[in-house]
Amino acid sequence: MLVMGEVHTGLLQNSGEIPESTCRDVLQLLSGERVRVSRRPIVYAVSPDLLTGVDCRLPSASQSRIRGAGTVLSRSSITGGRVVQGSSHTRIERSGSDRRQPWSHYLARPGVVEALGKAKPRDLADGFAEEPSADGLDLGAISARFMDVVQSSPLLDRRAPFKIARTRLRWVAEPGEPAIHFTLHSDQMRTVRLVHTGEFTPAVVDLCEDLALHDWLLTALLVIIERARIGGTPGPEAAAKLAPAVDHLLHLWMPSARVDDLLSPYWESLDRRPGFTRQWQSLVDRVRDQLAVHTLAFLREKSGGGAR
Amino acid sequence: MTSVNATFGEVAAERRIASAPLSHVSIELGHLYMEDFEAGPERLREQFRRVAPWAGTVRSSWQDRIPGGRARVSTCFLIDDYFSKFSTPAELVPMVLDAAADCDLTIDYIARESACAESDGIELARLVEDRLVNDPPPDTNGSRPPVKESGWLCNGARSPQVGTVQAMGKANRWAPPLQNAKRGHSIFVDVELWDENGGKRTWSCPFLAAVWQLLRLGLLRTDGRLPLRPVMREDAFPDDWESLPAVMQLNPAAAPFSAYTTLSVLSPRFLPVELAVRTILSQVAVDGDVLKQVVARSGGEGIRLEEELVDRISYVFT
Amino acid sequence: MLIFAISDKGGTGRSVTSTNIVYRHALQGNDVCYLDFDFGSPTAGAIFSVGSVARGTTRKGLHDYLLSEVAPEPHRVDVWTESDREGLRTKPPGAGRLVLFPGNEGGGELPAVDEEALRRCVQLFSRLDEEFDLVMVDVSAGRSFTAEMVLQATVRLPSVPFRWLVFHRWTRQHILAADGLVNGADGLLDVGTRFGHDRDKLRDRIRFVRTAVLEPDAAELVGLRDEQRAWLFACDTELRELASRHKVGRTAMLGKIPLDPILQWREQLISDEDVLASKIANAETAAAFDDLAKKIVDDAAWEGL
Repeated sequence: MLVMGEVHTGLLQNSGEIPESTCRDVLQLLSGERVRVSRRPIVYAVSPDLLTGVDCRLPSASQSRIRGAGTVLSRSSITGGRVVQGSSHTRIERSGSDRRQPWSHYLARPGVVEALGKAKPRDLADGFAEEPSADGLDLGAISARFMDVVQSSPLLDRRAPFKIARTRLRWVAEPGEPAIHFTLHSDQMRTVRLVHTGEFTPAVVDLCEDLALHDWLLTALLVIIERARIGGTPGPEAAAKLAPAVDHLLHLWMPSARVDDLLSPYWESLDRRPGFTRQWQSLVDRVRDQLAVHTLAFLREKSGGGAR
Repeated sequence: MTSVNATFGEVAAERRIASAPLSHVSIELGHLYMEDFEAGPERLREQFRRVAPWAGTVRSSWQDRIPGGRARVSTCFLIDDYFSKFSTPAELVPMVLDAAADCDLTIDYIARESACAESDGIELARLVEDRLVNDPPPDTNGSRPPVKESGWLCNGARSPQVGTVQAMGKANRWAPPLQNAKRGHSIFVDVELWDENGGKRTWSCPFLAAVWQLLRLGLLRTDGRLPLRPVMREDAFPDDWESLPAVMQLNPAAAPFSAYTTLSVLSPRFLPVELAVRTILSQVAVDGDVLKQVVARSGGEGIRLEEELVDRISYVFT
Repeated sequence: MLIFAISDKGGTGRSVTSTNIVYRHALQGNDVCYLDFDFGSPTAGAIFSVGSVARGTTRKGLHDYLLSEVAPEPHRVDVWTESDREGLRTKPPGAGRLVLFPGNEGGGELPAVDEEALRRCVQLFSRLDEEFDLVMVDVSAGRSFTAEMVLQATVRLPSVPFRWLVFHRWTRQHILAADGLVNGADGLLDVGTRFGHDRDKLRDRIRFVRTAVLEPDAAELVGLRDEQRAWLFACDTELRELASRHKVGRTAMLGKIPLDPILQWREQLISDEDVLASKIANAETAAAFDDLAKKIVDDAAWEGL
């Protein structure tokens, strides 16, 4: 019927980026299952998929009480040894029966929640994109815990170079005419509504995680630039506040790196409007220009001092 | 220039799952306590005499199902060396084999129960514990982690704690535990998975039996590999249990140890244990890729397997 | 960094001082939040002049987060946008975020420390530490399950820095009580050690803050008779001796807040406007808050005693 998910993204709580081997240890969430790592074009490590059982109200724009039971698939990942994501999703399907089945029925369908009763995909999707009810399916809380498990690893020193809020990206994918809508809500909340041709594939999850990653990078860079108060504070102070961006963020921008070819048109269309990469590039230029101006001023001061 | 279709693969980023050789059915020819062995060969023969007709029935019913009657049926026998150690393999195993042979039964594989806890450095019990996905009571929406009583697993919601939640607030009153997905009334089951004494964990009998079932169904993997393979018997059996392989193949012509389905022929005194085993197994998440692999294999042979793994397990209590 | 604000007794000005410290810390350019863990009386919203949560929130507050069956994300109040005070409603340039986490309206004290609540408390501290430069936790007065819970929580977060501020008034009774709360039987040090803190390291992370202090040479005392002033002076000397005897003396003190009439009448944030434009507050008071807001993160002020 449809697939819904939520990705949380944040800064790894460590002073520097961590090497691939540490990523493996941190993400070893399930014994007997290997952490998968890809190294090109950026080191990306992902934990095995884990399941969480749910039996609760499903989101509904019309406030219908639709019960769903089944499992949610979640994983934690680390990109570039620096950015953490907790990601959960589940496919909503109609149940063959109105009764809750024995649990083994649901475990035979990992990552599927069955709607008991009459559920309309549009109503579910609209409901999920809105503020969910407190007792409804809470994918966000699950994803947040999959971030926590990484952030609280004893292998991390917890001395992150700057403080930054996690962002949350909630997404719904339905079959139909290809389309994507990205909406920025509050400081931390984003929604993506995606329509794909043909069957749902896990590549859609990768795409949403990639969007969440880059949206977070953009958000973090904006926050750092705002804190630097360029023009409002003395040059050296502003430069010092911009430094963490150079040290920890600027090299991480690699849109569409892990996105399936079939889905890359979605990224491309978002890059045309609103133009994530355009905004990123202009911010990066701003940071680099500031640092260049500061360096020049510093050199001028130094040489001026030496001439006296 | 024309566009070039580039592909790039990284071994560490891909997931590979070994497949297990599979019979159609794995028949367990009984499970005995140490006192049964102590009682001597006659007690064993008595047990095997009761088992033999059931084993024969299952064998022939599978032969009828498979075109050409070429059903792959293997038999196995599990010896408890975990909770108590009795005698030596050199003494006990031949006694068991002789008693079975007297009843026209062939034991293809013999296994040690302690191997279900750990074998060759692989902690199978841990592996299974990590794959438990708790059966959620109604109104479990993911906002909090699953309620887990350390070392216990149940099929519903336990009684709420009696007492006050905050100062000057209302007190909780007792309420009965509830089975999830109950039919009318609850049959609430709460199973102890393990206990710990002085830092040493002892797995419970039902938990190890659940691991045993998963091994027989060929559904466990560690790093994508099969966690243990049967070892062909040598001429003599060793003098201590640790030297006996986890699963030993006794019959060179035997069908594979693991199977699409299992049958256990047991004394009725094992009924509560097997209820606990079902409670555990219905909450074990088997790897999705492994499940697909087994379904594809059986489908290729024209066999429709039950979707839920607890339905692939059957019992005769006699 | 986590800062726990506790007081020996009620009515010390703990909440009003700790809110003013976070406010000043935000003005100094840091992202800060304030957790109302005064569960028996969750009224921090009133001090921040956020009328909708003046007596706690009717939405999902900290009580719900720690105690309810479903643990919803706790309600956040962005003080810069939601305060009823005109002067607070625009974030000054260069200021950081200022977020209040209110308790539940009608919520009560914790009845005990249960494992589940403790786990959620650890989770909350850990997440907020990711996001905020400073997390101020108002722990309420005296020995409480809340204090016990946060002592246990910090044992489980060994890499998250934390500090305690113990607020007390400058009287004989308060000095003795503050000493008892920290050093006495079943005090912070005793209980903290019991749960796994190192006693000496924990002591190094505790400082005292004197509130509503009337200095004998203060301007307010100009109209006093000589006899009165002499008596006050003698009293102050005696209290100093008492304080240092009870390890509540100057070395363990992080700062003091002068008595300010405005705070006796209304617990509120003291903005620069209150000092400079309307002149209802004393400049010394604002300066004392500003100073404390710097000192709480200044390692030099927290070197071993």
